[in-house]
Amino acid sequence: MSECLLEVSELRVDFRHDGQVVRAVDQLTYSVRRGQTVAMIGESGSGKTVSSRAIMGLLPPTAKVTGSIRFDDIEMVGLGEKAMRAQRGCGVAMVFQDPTRSLNPTMRIGAQIREAIQTHEKASRGSAHDRALELLELVRLPAAQERLQQYPHQLSGGMRQRVMIAIALAASPKLLIADEATTALDVTTQAQIMELLRDLQQRLGMALIMISHDLGLAASFADEVVVMYAGRAVERAPTRMLFSHVRMPYTRALLDAIPRLENASHAPLAAVPGQPPNMALREPGCPFTPRCPNATDQCRAHAPAFEEHEPDHLWACWHPCADGARL
Amino acid sequence: MADLPSDLVAAGIAPAADEAAVAKAGGWWRGRLGVTIPAVMVGFIFLLCFVWPIIGPVPPPTGGNILNASLPAFSSGHFLGTDPVGNDEWSRLLYGGRASLEIALAVQAIGLVLGGLIGAVAAYFGGWRDATIMRILDVFIAFPGLVLAVAIAQGLGPSELHTIWALSFFSVPASARISRAATLRVREQTFITAARLSGTSFPRMVLGHIAPNILPQLLTYALLGMGIIMILEGALSFVGLGVPPPAPSWGNMIAQGQSTISADPRYVFLPSAALFITVVSFNLLGEGLRARWGTQ
Amino acid sequence: MSSTSAPLSAPLAARAGRAGRLAGSPTLSFILRRLLAAIPVLFGVTFLSFVVMNSLPGDAAQELLGAQATPAEIHQLEIKLGLDKPFLTRYWDWLHEAVIGHLGHSLSSGQSVASILGSDLPVTFELVGFAFVISLALAVPIALVSARKPNGVADRLSMMFSMAGLSVAPYVLALVLVYVFAVKLNVLPALGWVPPGQSVAQNIRYLIMPAVSIGLGLLCFCTRLLRADLLEQMQGEDYVVTARAKGVRPWRVLTRHALRNSLFGLITVVALNLGTLLGFTVVIEDIFGIPGIGHELLQAIDNRDIPVIEGIVFVFAVIVVLLNLAADVLYSVLDPRIRYGRPTE
Repeated sequence: MSECLLEVSELRVDFRHDGQVVRAVDQLTYSVRRGQTVAMIGESGSGKTVSSRAIMGLLPPTAKVTGSIRFDDIEMVGLGEKAMRAQRGCGVAMVFQDPTRSLNPTMRIGAQIREAIQTHEKASRGSAHDRALELLELVRLPAAQERLQQYPHQLSGGMRQRVMIAIALAASPKLLIADEATTALDVTTQAQIMELLRDLQQRLGMALIMISHDLGLAASFADEVVVMYAGRAVERAPTRMLFSHVRMPYTRALLDAIPRLENASHAPLAAVPGQPPNMALREPGCPFTPRCPNATDQCRAHAPAFEEHEPDHLWACWHPCADGARL
Repeated sequence: MADLPSDLVAAGIAPAADEAAVAKAGGWWRGRLGVTIPAVMVGFIFLLCFVWPIIGPVPPPTGGNILNASLPAFSSGHFLGTDPVGNDEWSRLLYGGRASLEIALAVQAIGLVLGGLIGAVAAYFGGWRDATIMRILDVFIAFPGLVLAVAIAQGLGPSELHTIWALSFFSVPASARISRAATLRVREQTFITAARLSGTSFPRMVLGHIAPNILPQLLTYALLGMGIIMILEGALSFVGLGVPPPAPSWGNMIAQGQSTISADPRYVFLPSAALFITVVSFNLLGEGLRARWGTQ
Repeated sequence: MSSTSAPLSAPLAARAGRAGRLAGSPTLSFILRRLLAAIPVLFGVTFLSFVVMNSLPGDAAQELLGAQATPAEIHQLEIKLGLDKPFLTRYWDWLHEAVIGHLGHSLSSGQSVASILGSDLPVTFELVGFAFVISLALAVPIALVSARKPNGVADRLSMMFSMAGLSVAPYVLALVLVYVFAVKLNVLPALGWVPPGQSVAQNIRYLIMPAVSIGLGLLCFCTRLLRADLLEQMQGEDYVVTARAKGVRPWRVLTRHALRNSLFGLITVVALNLGTLLGFTVVIEDIFGIPGIGHELLQAIDNRDIPVIEGIVFVFAVIVVLLNLAADVLYSVLDPRIRYGRPTE
């Protein structure tokens, strides 16, 4: 049993659309150890969601996946449908962003949780029902008994998300992927859910990949951070190191964009200027070039390699920021 | 199901969008095939029924000699034979098709123009006008189509013109529904607001701005409706309320053939096959166009 | 911890809670609202049928008395029939009578229209019901198989056949069936009707061809609709991704998740099309000699039996409105979002 639960190497995901090929993920490499929390940070379209769906084989048929995803010593890329289904929910589980749409509106909560249980173990309806109750209590959903009989629309957003977590945990997965799991929630509920996830993770010894665009969240909860841009990993380091020694201009810009209390009120927010690139057009250089303050011709001509420049700290940049960051 | 033209569906005509799924899955109707082949078929049928009798050696469909009754197919001078009264069957088929197509075209044209206008007006003005019009349309649509047509046709008496009136009561409300839905969508767009603000008069709004944008959808619907209208016309003629004999229409031909079905089934099968092929062509054309232009 | 209360009491408590909620507001208020909305439509529909029957060219009194009638006789008959009163008054009077079932008497047989309808309606209902059941029962599995592998062999075949089926006129299908099964193969009767009270087996034998004639169009229509909706659910909805992420088998995702949601849309649409279906009974009953209201309508038209025609048109219209209402109610009862109303905290 290796230390490394998940090892992603040179992952590439292409989408065929209308004759064009869009590369959503390019040469992504990272790993997750048992019990570790890894945050994947990026803007929309950066490839963070696509890469995590690739782990579970949940991409549409127009997607072509190359590279390697080793989960628990099993190669997931190219895995047959039946074997993949055995892993879904049981080995690796996912919590989605929008709990309103992610739950079947015409099915009772209890039935949806029981389905998660009964897909992977032979349990009678009664024992599955009991286990569902346990799960709801595990995710701290009040009045669990009643909730089991209710329909999703009868619960609030935060409650639905707890139900989603309960469903994800039903088959005791080793890895939980939280895909923008708190983005749709208000700040208070967000904090509660993140606390819950951390607590569950420690209790159950689960690894967690949290996908977000919120660096602040990563700072509080992650062991390691992977920053993605335009389908590529551009910086990766343990959280402390990333925040104290940020190198990528993009990461720097993301950090600067976090509003801070000590700033003067009405000071303009430092947004990252420009737009994410059009993924259908592949330029030879670094994709961040149009928005980068440090950009040079070298950046436009050649994409920098993603390499370990300092121990445990990898980045892909010709002109990284000087050491140190404001925090 | 929100994006389906539910009124098309409501009118009982070929059902709603496969094409989202078909387009994603790569599709059977992909490309020009979906439109070209049915279009050619429809064109050919029109040519046969409208042009060929004029320019080609087609004997008249009525006034046949009783001595020539019930000749089999491929007899000299009558390539499909004759009917029990002596009329040339091929000619009856063509002229019958012409009658049926004429009626369907007229009905759909009335529906397109009148229904389109009513729907657009209702959607454009909104408010109580819209609500009233919609309620009235609901009443017409609630009425079972054929019964309504039968009731009207029996009151008016059988004739081609009366059949057109009777069937228009079916097509106008259905078309109005589609037009209203389409206009509502268009109305939200900013160029309409811009035009209103600059004081464009209502007729100009309709003709210049609204019509061009709802026309594709209305036309597609009109094409898809041709099939059902022809079937309804056939039903009316079948019960004796449509085109009056001896003038042929596929419907009354089928009805007349019914009595001799065991002895000589071709009198039923020939017009039936013609009707079927025509309806299929229109349906395919409508579906192809809709796949091409997409649901708007 | 969790199971202090015995698991058995939990479902019971839940059921009681459910019943309490049902008796309370959300469903009932929905049904009431729909009922209220249906009333103006009912008025409109009955008014329309009255208008159609009474304002078309042709003098009713003259028709009845024939060409020899003198103007005085015509005028007398008009007064007797109440035709001299204002239009709306006539409508209102007629409506009053119609609603309680006084629909007049047949001009040809003298029988009360209400009793004619009474014996004919159940026959038509059985025919349409039969057609309906066959169509739905077949549409669901065919749509499921098609949606399982979009563009696969089964899918393409079913789409092709359903397109063909939609393009066939019901009366054409009827005659083809008669030719094949009655004339050539002689296994089914071409004409006639045996009430189920007499013999269920015979009843079915006589009903099969007419029911298929009416039902094929509906079958093809529902199959395509359901398939399209299923595919939309499977490819577009997030809850499907959740289900897959749980490791649920694709067939089960289709039947346990997508199908439920698709069936709702189907109910509404089918209800809207029942009108057309009913309309075609006019022709089909005529072909097969089924003594239902469609057949009755045609006979009345032949005999110029105005009261019967009026009565039947009225009943047709009311039935369609009521059926739509029933579909709405069914929808509200089945859709948990309506049944259980707003979210509770």
